[in-house]
Amino acid sequence: MTAFYAWIGGLAQRGVLPSDFQYPFLVRGFLCVLVLAPILGGVSHLVVTRRMAFFSAALGQAAITGVALGLLLGEPLNAPYGGMFGFCLLSTLGMVYVKRHATLPPDTLIGVFHALTLGLGLCLLVALTRQFNVHQVESVLFGSLLTVTDGDLALLLAVGILVAVLLIREYNHLLLDSLSPPLASVAGAEPAYLEYFFALLLTLSIVVSLKIIGALLVEALVVVPAAAARNVARGTRSYLIGSVVVAFLAGAGGLGVSTRFLVPTGGAVVLAVSAIFFLTLAVRSLTRRNAV
Amino acid sequence: MTEPAEAPALLEIDRLTVRRHREALLDEVSLRVRRGTVHVLMGPNGAGKSTLIAAILAQLAFDGRIAMNWAETGAIGYVPQSFAVDPTLPVTVADFLALTRQRRPVCLGITRGAKAAIARLLARVGLSGLERRPLAVLSGGELRRVLLAHALDPEPELLILDEPTAGLDDAAVAILDEILLASKRSGKTTVLMVSHDLEQVRRVADWVTVLDRRVAVEGPVDILATAHVRELLPAARERRAARA
Repeated sequence: MTAFYAWIGGLAQRGVLPSDFQYPFLVRGFLCVLVLAPILGGVSHLVVTRRMAFFSAALGQAAITGVALGLLLGEPLNAPYGGMFGFCLLSTLGMVYVKRHATLPPDTLIGVFHALTLGLGLCLLVALTRQFNVHQVESVLFGSLLTVTDGDLALLLAVGILVAVLLIREYNHLLLDSLSPPLASVAGAEPAYLEYFFALLLTLSIVVSLKIIGALLVEALVVVPAAAARNVARGTRSYLIGSVVVAFLAGAGGLGVSTRFLVPTGGAVVLAVSAIFFLTLAVRSLTRRNAV
Repeated sequence: MTEPAEAPALLEIDRLTVRRHREALLDEVSLRVRRGTVHVLMGPNGAGKSTLIAAILAQLAFDGRIAMNWAETGAIGYVPQSFAVDPTLPVTVADFLALTRQRRPVCLGITRGAKAAIARLLARVGLSGLERRPLAVLSGGELRRVLLAHALDPEPELLILDEPTAGLDDAAVAILDEILLASKRSGKTTVLMVSHDLEQVRRVADWVTVLDRRVAVEGPVDILATAHVRELLPAARERRAARA
């Protein structure tokens, strides 16, 4: 990768690419955005359709607890994936299982998990400060490009390909199940399988995105791109393309803002995606007014 | 054509019981749906008609036995009683119909073969040219016809319709009648339908089962003329009085 970064740096020095690309960490960040946009854009339009925004928020909180748990168990500070994925997986399975078997409304049950994981995470973070400076775990909470490594990029790419292949395989059943579980069931889909399947894909996507976006803000990128695209989309194709484009623009824009103004990447990305959402909302209102 | 009572049964239900909170929604219901017939379930609200459909579709737990004696594809088509569409969901009619028509994810585009099949399906239910219209802006009657088109693809061996005439105008009911009668003529599709529409039932049904949590009465469509059966259908009676 060093030769690749040197080549990109050379292009930036000759003015072919923006000058920011002289720095390998920025090139790496841009590549991460290129991979993240289709993953989160693709996942996000199903998250919104399947009404799993709150579920995603709870998973983001669970990731904080997972990171704290992983670090306390001795994982390296720059790659606490074991604790993060393990705890998020447990939380996902727990939430889906309880949601399927309890009679309470799903948002109430997810609220219980949300509170539980956050409370546990806070206790573990306090314990963690006895071993680490709390600023060292800031990158996991808010996202940071400085800490993203080539290994993170490779993991992101591998998970991105896996998620894309699995989503392509089950997309039609997932969408039909979102519209009407009985119709999906008649068409040969298994609603319980689909629910666990998609929750696991969402968990994977969230876990690999955390180092860039941050645990506290990752839910924004699995909800807002689709919400923005939905304001202007006219069919499932434009809905997917719109979600991916919005995720990419927000990622690239947030990256630029965070390097220029030295603010956390996650925060800048969320501000960018929110701005795009309100822009599309305005476009929707204008086109509706013109149509009347 | 074979008389309904003598034809072999496609669907056999024996002593089906469904309980919720200890209350029996269906109590020891037994019936047979003969192959190639239109079998109508009638009864007052709360009689268990939709519950029976849900049990047949394995969407709820039950005691008893449900057996399907498939002779061909074993495909089931289903038009549910309710289908709530999120008003901001950007799913078009063509997207929806392509979901079960092609393997390629519909968000990556609809295949040429699927487009042609969708156009034929929409023509069959009298909705030609509606492919690009979002589901959310369809009228109630149009949505039910799109659901009917969905249920007809692939050609089902068992077509289950839960109050299919709700929200349909006379022209749409005539199209539905034609589809049901054509199914009967072909002998390939068996229809199980929940209906409160006595007139339509008289036009298309071969066999009627009146439910009131258990089988109250069943027989050929002529039984609807009897005073005893009319007494069991208060909803239908009210509807007819209101129309008059």
